[in-house]
Amino acid sequence: MTFFKSQISQNFLKSRSHSFLLLGNILVSFGILLVTVGGSWDITNHLLNKPETFFSPPHALIYFGVALSLIGAICSFIGWKNLQQFKIHYFFPLKIKLFGIALLVGAGPFDFLWHSNFGLDGFLSPPHLALIVGMFLCSIGGMIGISRYLEINNFKNSFRSYLLILAILPVWLSGSGIISSLSLPFSNTDYFNFNPEPILAFLIATMAFPFLISMSMLLIFRLSHYGFGMMSILGCLFLLIYSFTAIVPNFAIFDSVLFYSLNLIPFVVSDVILLHKSKKSLIFVGGLLGSVFYMVYYPYVMYTFNEVLLGKLVSPSLIYFVYFELIQTVLMITVIPAIIMGVFAVVISEKLSKKILMS
Amino acid sequence: MKRLLLFSIIGFSIVIYFILTVLLLPVHYLSNEQLVPQPYFEVILSDSEISLGESFRLDVVSENIGDYGDIHIVSTAFPDLIELDSVEIVTYDFTQSPVYIQLGDEIISGYSGGLESTLSEYPSIEAMNRPIHPGTKYHFELVITPEKPGSFTTYVKSIDIPHINSLSHYPDSGVLDHQNEYVSVYSVNVNP
Repeated sequence: MTFFKSQISQNFLKSRSHSFLLLGNILVSFGILLVTVGGSWDITNHLLNKPETFFSPPHALIYFGVALSLIGAICSFIGWKNLQQFKIHYFFPLKIKLFGIALLVGAGPFDFLWHSNFGLDGFLSPPHLALIVGMFLCSIGGMIGISRYLEINNFKNSFRSYLLILAILPVWLSGSGIISSLSLPFSNTDYFNFNPEPILAFLIATMAFPFLISMSMLLIFRLSHYGFGMMSILGCLFLLIYSFTAIVPNFAIFDSVLFYSLNLIPFVVSDVILLHKSKKSLIFVGGLLGSVFYMVYYPYVMYTFNEVLLGKLVSPSLIYFVYFELIQTVLMITVIPAIIMGVFAVVISEKLSKKILMS
Repeated sequence: MKRLLLFSIIGFSIVIYFILTVLLLPVHYLSNEQLVPQPYFEVILSDSEISLGESFRLDVVSENIGDYGDIHIVSTAFPDLIELDSVEIVTYDFTQSPVYIQLGDEIISGYSGGLESTLSEYPSIEAMNRPIHPGTKYHFELVITPEKPGSFTTYVKSIDIPHINSLSHYPDSGVLDHQNEYVSVYSVNVNP
């Protein structure tokens, strides 16, 4: 009887393995999305309230996201193990996810130990770096897994293709986390000063943020086989997440939500321009998306540029005064490299999307 | 024709976006008045005269009577002490844990928010709240046991951050302390 039952469950797993694998990928991506939202909320919480304990609501969201991702990684592994075909196609994303989840799960106790021994840690610390890299790897694994599932099952034009938004948003947000941790001066604590060198931070922000925006947008465009509206929805969700985690909680800059919401314009415009799928259009969109990085990464990107250009002390309620004081200078200095990096992402996104879709 | 119209709309949208975000809205936001938090406190001393070996209570109720602020600090300093062994906090409802500053510690001075610093000449305790909403009151109470006869002095001051002008600290005149910042002076006579 027991043998019979296990035979049934084995058969069930085999028949449903592909769906199980997709569920795993969705859970991983959604889990990482929660981690990134919690991370962004945590930065704001540290800036505004300076919590003195490890146990805070943003940390709870982060570790709930880690738990979901862990369940997702396990589902992915079980689904992959029982796959009858395409096993090789899903091996690479599974490998990345498992490596990422190992880093994520290890980062939790490491972070707790770090807090216990060195008190409040900054944005960049060894446990946080492990956490952010783990997030990024998991989100990449989830993105490749979901994209290949849609491609293999020919869901290009179905409603399921919107899963690509869930696949790419965590990659964009966790990539932003890596760049922010390497460029924001939020890592000077009583025990360690991990603040990046200001000029290096300036260069990292100027090169990497435009590349990441353009890359994320063009990836969804290519992976969805030029689906109209995908870029606008992705951009809108990104802006919503940053609004609710970085702007709305800060009473003093709440009225700048209007300014921030204008960033939807370049995303929608890019979508419309790419109705005409020429190389020129792609290059124009890449450059446009790269050029708006200082506005899209409002408000915290200001801290990086302030270090070099003004050197002012900026408490949270002064953020937008310094941000807007700097906006024209920053754009004058960064617009050309930002456009170049945005265009560079056009080339890379083409190669990367071909690899992801194995075409 | 249709294509020309589409390109015109696209071009117009991009131009409007950059004009608004880079030229017009920054001017609008920069013209907004900065929020000026304004600290205020009241101190109640339990005794004006005690005998050596006895304790007295120093009760501080502080509030922000100005705009929203990022940080609210109340500092109590003891120029007659070398260590804080004889000071005990008995009531405390600030959001951040109290900071104990020992003699010789590096401390921020001149309301500079970190740009200027000096070395502490006597111990002090800082109570801190982040952020500080208008009209909110916080309270802490100390029990102090002077170690020597004579006049025992306590300095009390409060600073709100961002420190915009003289309204951002209280008191705004009088005695200057080791941080070159104004303090209110409270004394208790300790009889031998």
